[in-house]
Amino acid sequence: MADIVRKQKVSVEGATVREHLQAMDDSAVVTAFLGGEERAFSELVTRYQTRLLNFVYRTIGDREKAEDLVQEVFIRVYRHLHRFDRSKKFSTWVYTIASNLAKNELRNRSRNPLVLFQTVQKNFQDEDRPLQFEDTTSRPDDMYRKRHLREIVEETVAKLPEHHRNVFILRELEGKSYEEIAEITDCNLGTVKSRLNRARNSFAEIIAPYVD
Amino acid sequence: MDCREFCDQHLAYVDDTLAGIELVRMQRHLAECQSCAKHDAKIRRALLLFRNLPSIEPSADFSRRLEARLRSSQRDNLFVSTQRNLRRSAIAATIASAIMLGYIGTTLFHSDAPRDLVMPPVVATVPEPEFTPITTSTPAIVASVSAGLTIWPAALFAEQVPVRFAHSSLELANYTR
Repeated sequence: MADIVRKQKVSVEGATVREHLQAMDDSAVVTAFLGGEERAFSELVTRYQTRLLNFVYRTIGDREKAEDLVQEVFIRVYRHLHRFDRSKKFSTWVYTIASNLAKNELRNRSRNPLVLFQTVQKNFQDEDRPLQFEDTTSRPDDMYRKRHLREIVEETVAKLPEHHRNVFILRELEGKSYEEIAEITDCNLGTVKSRLNRARNSFAEIIAPYVD
Repeated sequence: MDCREFCDQHLAYVDDTLAGIELVRMQRHLAECQSCAKHDAKIRRALLLFRNLPSIEPSADFSRRLEARLRSSQRDNLFVSTQRNLRRSAIAATIASAIMLGYIGTTLFHSDAPRDLVMPPVVATVPEPEFTPITTSTPAIVASVSAGLTIWPAALFAEQVPVRFAHSSLELANYTR
């Protein structure tokens, strides 16, 4: 009986800590983790896993590899969090790591055409497509149209030059400010604006025939 | 405002970061220029499409795999740090041994070096006694030496005891030597 009560108490304490962590901002969660609260790391993972996965996936176009890279991001965060400059934004730091890993992945692919080919193949396999995209309430022809459009959008993004695509995704998908993008991509503000402007124009130009 | 200026400012216009006056100028140009209005619509429509791309979710075993990788990474870290410490200890021991061997070698094979330490000669002086020697008769002292104890005839220096008693051992040492 006492054992059950103790277990319940521990579980209630755990739930309270989790709720407490959820209410904190990133900086406070980082501080809690550095103070020895291991559950704080899980909170950071929960907050960033989907965002980072989408960012990396849109950048490299390979879902499986994107998951691996996001895991690598979290491992690096876990290892080096004590070195993180807490006067800066945690999200910017995490995105910088993710951006660099994605960049390395693309660089490796360009050196190894076989990998590139396999990746391109993978991108067009049905099972790689996110299932939740399908809206089961829509009519079949609507579903087909939506799916087709999504494929075109993804292909169009993939056609953008890497440095344009990176900036474009960070701004349009992640909603980062110009300043944050400049920090993540290690460019100056002018370069970010210029790349974003070009990326938007190129993207709109490529996709226009399919939309009109 | 001309079309070139409109295109230059379009990024900020779409992102709503233009100041009030600039915003009004852009809107006025849009109303006047059909080509720029078309360009603006094209960009906004494309962005809308991209922003509405469905979000993908991590796979079901993402957390489990991450946990496993973190655990493995921790083990690797521990192993690496242990290896590093061992390597450091080995390096330190090697350096210490090398220094010791070097020192021993230098000491043994360096013939010019003096083997013994040369210290300055010790100069010791016996302090001058500040007291007047005890005047006592020799037979009395000899008698006390044979007994193994300093048995001073009290009658001889009953008057001088407070002053001379402290020096009795010195006197005795002189006699017994």
